[in-house]
Amino acid sequence: MEHIEKELKEGIKFHQIKTDKFKTNLVAIFLTTSLKRETVTQNALISSVLRRGTQNMPSQELISKELEEMYGAAFDCGLDKTGDNQVLKFYLETINDNFLPPLGENMWKVATEKLLEIVFNPLVEQGGFKEEYVNQEKENVKQRIEAKIDNKAKYALDRCIEEMYKEEPFGLYKFGYVEDLDKLNAKNLYEAYQQLIKHCKIDIFVSGILNDDIENEVMQNENIQKLQARKPEYQIPNMQLKKVEQEKVVTESMDVAQGKLVLGLDLAIEKEELRYHVMLYNSILGGSANSKLFQNVREKAHMAYVASSSYVRYKNNIFVNCGIEIENYEKALNLIKEQIEAMKKGDFTQEEIENAKKGIISGIQAIEDEQDTQVVYYYGQELSQYQMSIEQYKEKVMQVSKEDILAIADKVTIDTIYFLKN
Amino acid sequence: MQIIENLKVKEKVYMEKLENGLAVMVIPKKDVLKKYLIWGTRYGSIDSEFIVPGEKEKTQVPMGVAHFLEHKMFEQENGTNSLDVLTALGVNANAYTSNDHTAYLFECTENFYEAMDELMDYVQHPYFTDENVEKEKGIIGQEIKMYDDYPDWRVYYNSLEAMYHNNPVKLDTAGTIESISKIDKDVLYRCYQTFYHPSNMVLVVCGDFEPEKMIEEVKKRLIPNKQTGEITRIYPTEPEEIVKEKVEQTLEVSQPLFTIGIKDKPEVCGVENKNVMIKKQIAIEILLNLIIGRSSALYQELYQNGILYAQPSLEYEFSNIYAHVLITGQSNQPEEVYQKFKMEIKRFKTEGIDEKDFLRIKKMIYGGYIREYNDVGDIARMFLADSMKGINSFDYLEEMEGINVEYLKQVLNDVFKEDKMVLSIVKN
Repeated sequence: MEHIEKELKEGIKFHQIKTDKFKTNLVAIFLTTSLKRETVTQNALISSVLRRGTQNMPSQELISKELEEMYGAAFDCGLDKTGDNQVLKFYLETINDNFLPPLGENMWKVATEKLLEIVFNPLVEQGGFKEEYVNQEKENVKQRIEAKIDNKAKYALDRCIEEMYKEEPFGLYKFGYVEDLDKLNAKNLYEAYQQLIKHCKIDIFVSGILNDDIENEVMQNENIQKLQARKPEYQIPNMQLKKVEQEKVVTESMDVAQGKLVLGLDLAIEKEELRYHVMLYNSILGGSANSKLFQNVREKAHMAYVASSSYVRYKNNIFVNCGIEIENYEKALNLIKEQIEAMKKGDFTQEEIENAKKGIISGIQAIEDEQDTQVVYYYGQELSQYQMSIEQYKEKVMQVSKEDILAIADKVTIDTIYFLKN
Repeated sequence: MQIIENLKVKEKVYMEKLENGLAVMVIPKKDVLKKYLIWGTRYGSIDSEFIVPGEKEKTQVPMGVAHFLEHKMFEQENGTNSLDVLTALGVNANAYTSNDHTAYLFECTENFYEAMDELMDYVQHPYFTDENVEKEKGIIGQEIKMYDDYPDWRVYYNSLEAMYHNNPVKLDTAGTIESISKIDKDVLYRCYQTFYHPSNMVLVVCGDFEPEKMIEEVKKRLIPNKQTGEITRIYPTEPEEIVKEKVEQTLEVSQPLFTIGIKDKPEVCGVENKNVMIKKQIAIEILLNLIIGRSSALYQELYQNGILYAQPSLEYEFSNIYAHVLITGQSNQPEEVYQKFKMEIKRFKTEGIDEKDFLRIKKMIYGGYIREYNDVGDIARMFLADSMKGINSFDYLEEMEGINVEYLKQVLNDVFKEDKMVLSIVKN
């Protein structure tokens, strides 16, 4: 495995991950831009419209047919909220030539060209996107925004985040807002696209069994040539010290069979180095089957099937998730609070720490065995502007001590308690 | 030991049937750190009526026992829980129950053999008490309720309810709060002793291993087991007809979810008949993509008219007692999707299948099969699930070639019948 990166132009980076572990080659383009209420909806719509057609493949049907012809090259695009950034992600995964009938198709090259075309050479008519596509995609994005309620557990988590980050970028919904769709049209959306492409951070990844000339091919690509150097406008994630306010309780009703309880926890820490300590803290609190939440809420009290926590490192929060009987709200909440208190008292052993480390390290070691995980791992480094090998990463985790975890426990406060009931 | 190599995907599987009847498969993956072990038994949610080998009377158990048993297998006599022990080793352990099998698994990068010790030990040593069975009812009860809140889960089960009169495939894998209340330790022991015999089981390992040595490692960890006779599984007779064409449920959703189901006649599963099953499955996959796949005229029309916003998922599920096509998506006009889908099938039946389109979709599906071999977990799970039906996963890559337009037409006429279709809707 080899990871090589090269700045093609200022603000535009090309990353090669040379690996022979997979049957596939993966090309990914990430457009990173600051998350803002004014642009969140239009960016979601742009991502949707780009899939519809390019200058050379003017319809979705043609794009689909070309990809099917390439042994079902898998195209995917998505939106992510990474810290205070909105990231437009585009992927194209193809079968490596070694596993195809011998036609010498040079699949990665075609794939790279196609994906660059989809992102940087959209179908333009009369100085705007194609109107029909924009109108249809407005409906599509509207549907996606409204679909937020369909997965109730995910909805509860999204709502908790919104409550915690009211009036802040991270509180925005990544697909945007229905009322903002009205004012968008083929023309102003295309202008917004041009601004985005001019100013966003661009990262292009290729992973797989790669030819040596790939870098040249990409540099010569006309869609890349068209792009200008830029000082990219995005937010470098940094640990923010949160103003600790009073614990907020939000309860909402919906037609649900089971109550969904989410606790948003704040961590009053600033140093980047401390995130390894938080990983351990989270693992012991609710990150595994041996954790306090799983053992006490599920196994001992039999109150839940799901009882866990996860760490959102870009924002320095931990979220506790539980699905419970609605009338057990008080009991479950107290039990969760007891676990957070137990962590503060240091009610965990050296053995538990060692076990948690093993689990985390196993996950780190598996990064190289998963193509998309590996891409996201290097993107995370790129975004945070630090470089760390897998070995160094493991080392950081190994060094965490009980005192370190206790120090984290001390900085944990409950920010918001969100409960979805019927 | 049998070695099968597939030159298309460039992988090998080493297979051995041990003396006690256990089938072991090893798929070596050089230079990959991740390792995966999965041990499954042919016992799923559909198996609630059977004759225990050596007995005459049939046994009937409440629905949800296979899944309940899966939960309880982790509990050990010495007071430990194997899930905790495995997690403490830093491995990612889990288990699942499907319609036709139950499986125990772990994935790791280190401590493989310690984890293998633990997994093979707990699967061979059940320990059920009144108390530990009782407490699990609370946990599984919450699992059932969690699924009650998943609209995609409801729309799926409701479509099965509409298709099947008696077939147990329509029953929730986890059972109901009511059915699991009847489960006790005796039922669990009885099912364990019937279905967890090595001759009813398959163990698959994928990772950087020497296959011969791995098979020895498996043998070392097996406890002696008497040969038993065949398990007789009793399934109710199922008419070919559907129950009712339409079924609706109310849940709070942004837009209706729908599943179009097509009830099909199950083929005899097993090694003798595997080519028939595989060819049919591939043909149905190709047909579904031609009719309503991403590049199809119908999908493009529905998308442009705002009736579909995303490609529906296309599936064919089968065992030796059930077989059905499922098309699942979200739409503000599910009836319209259903009617258009039926019309499109008629059009295909009269106008025929375009050779160019067929070849393109075939290429796409071939690529999809190759892609399955990227991850050790995907590979091991695939080989296990296929083996439950008597299929070797490599066969899909080989049977592809024999499929032509003539055969597709035959399957189109045999399977895509209007009077076998149902529409399940979940909406506000």
